[in-house]
Amino acid sequence: MSKVVEISPTTRHEGHSKLVLKVNDAGIIETGNWCSITPVRGVEKLAVGKTPEQVPKIASRVCGICPIAHTLAATEAMEASIKCEIPKDALMLRHILQLANRCHSIALHDILILPDFYIPGTETKINPFTAEEPVRSVAKRIQRLREIGQTIGQIAGGDCIHPRNTKVGGMYRNVSEQAKTKMYDLAKEGLTLAHAQAEFMIAVIRSYHKRDFVDVGGMKVALPKDLGFHDQGYLATHAFYGSSSLEECPSWDIRRFKEARPWDWYMGEMTVDFEEPRYPIGGTTKVGTKVNPQMEACTGIPMYDGQPVEVGPRARLVTYKNFDEKGTQGQNIAREMEYQDCFYEMIDCLDELNTSGKVMADYVPNGDGSLGWASNEAPRGTDVHMARVKDWKVQYFSMLVPTTWNFATCSAALKGAPWQLAEVIMRGYDPCVSCATHMIVVDEDNKLVAQKLIQ
Amino acid sequence: MLFKEIVIAGCGNPLFADDGFGPAVIDRIHEEHTLPDNVSVIDAGLGGPHFIFTLLDPEVTKKLIIVDIADYGAEPGQITKLKVEDLPPGAYRDAHSWDLAEPLQRIKDQIEITIIGVQPARVTAPEFEEGLSEELEKAIPKTIRVILEHIGVDYGTTIKCLQEERPRGTAEGGTKG
Repeated sequence: MSKVVEISPTTRHEGHSKLVLKVNDAGIIETGNWCSITPVRGVEKLAVGKTPEQVPKIASRVCGICPIAHTLAATEAMEASIKCEIPKDALMLRHILQLANRCHSIALHDILILPDFYIPGTETKINPFTAEEPVRSVAKRIQRLREIGQTIGQIAGGDCIHPRNTKVGGMYRNVSEQAKTKMYDLAKEGLTLAHAQAEFMIAVIRSYHKRDFVDVGGMKVALPKDLGFHDQGYLATHAFYGSSSLEECPSWDIRRFKEARPWDWYMGEMTVDFEEPRYPIGGTTKVGTKVNPQMEACTGIPMYDGQPVEVGPRARLVTYKNFDEKGTQGQNIAREMEYQDCFYEMIDCLDELNTSGKVMADYVPNGDGSLGWASNEAPRGTDVHMARVKDWKVQYFSMLVPTTWNFATCSAALKGAPWQLAEVIMRGYDPCVSCATHMIVVDEDNKLVAQKLIQ
Repeated sequence: MLFKEIVIAGCGNPLFADDGFGPAVIDRIHEEHTLPDNVSVIDAGLGGPHFIFTLLDPEVTKKLIIVDIADYGAEPGQITKLKVEDLPPGAYRDAHSWDLAEPLQRIKDQIEITIIGVQPARVTAPEFEEGLSEELEKAIPKTIRVILEHIGVDYGTTIKCLQEERPRGTAEGGTKG
């Protein structure tokens, strides 16, 4: 007979989410629901009537982790609507900024997932903050990679968290030759470190997935070889950066996108009838607690060609580099493989960058109300922003962020796994939950059909 | 290097009305002041814990000043100086940290940390609303003077202005705590 277990809140990611799992007598997940419980916001409504310069700044504030991806996607959605093409050197600076952000993000994710894994060949789980070797050197390397990413981002973007240099029509200013050299030196240092770090992480990940059993809070849990597998398909719009043109990027077509309501997708009201106090951190939810994912979930369910899809590093590698490893293992390895690519691409962009070139378009139109969209391949996956700008006022704005795509896909991937490993599967998506909170559902004509306030 | 000897970080979310006070102070500093080369002035937004506090190098950074709102039962716009020990648990928790630790606790023995907290009038979370209340808008210049005094920068007016507002040896004028 099925039992209901709830892990709330989930840990080692940004924002608040929970897992509601229907499991069989052997503890294997029959139906899994992973949902955001971060309260609803309404950035789309706030954007209407603002200038195209204001909206990217608003978009960048919806999340503490992804301001760069949101700034770039929102700025480029505005440019797509007003049909403004930016100079090549401005685009190079944006590429560099985005790749620097990705480098930091991968390093941060390494810290988050390392405690799930073992030092290869031992029964010792990894504590990334230990003073003991070999982990100490790894932690130092991760910190240095984060510093390099943030420093390059600061130089290219004007600020390392909320970039001040981006602007509708290009960038406020180009960088000096000295600044370019500094970014180049940092990127070369980062490349060497990224090689070593990716090699270490891939060894650790592979060694974990070769195990028959793993320990979770003192419980010995059988590790399935198909952990995190799903058949939902993938969506990526660019190998590195993004696009705002269907001609340039036929993999994202707004006409193939639709969003379902959470109450048509998630499980309804249930009562928790299984609890495990040993589960880290602090045990699972108490028996007798009422749960209702349909009503508690704070996001819609985006669908591409009628079904949820996976976005993120593996989607990019599957789409553009013939990567074929499935499951949580494949997902984490794909992320590590992006480490080095990210620095190689950054070095290519720096080679292309002319520090004397102009970085602002000669003419920035006011917009005629056309629908424009821009996808930005954020660390966690495809971040699509859509906008209509008329007479320099935003008439419509919508954000379709990576983790929103992945909620439903990850939910499907939970099926068949031991419930104790549900968070390991979830972390493979490197979730960023607060920016995924997006509870406005629009129909084909972009009419508002559902909106919900949770608290 | 990413961060300098003195780091001023404005924390909060401008989409929740007065919660945007920290970033607004940073904006004003950028617009109106030129600070010494050993000072980093950063709009941390919501990213302070993962983008700044876990990346500070105590070999380089000696002083961290956090500007944020703090609900301590005062009149809106009143300023207070807090230490890490005064913060409620979870105030600057790093959601991305593996043990949900307070990153400020990890560094407080190596870096001098001061939180300049301003009593908010209106925080609208989870509803989005832009713009500071009048009281907090007015508190920006004084907050900047408090910061400048704290880091020892004086344009010939900063410290004098603060001294005129309060007799020596008392808490800052209009402040509490």
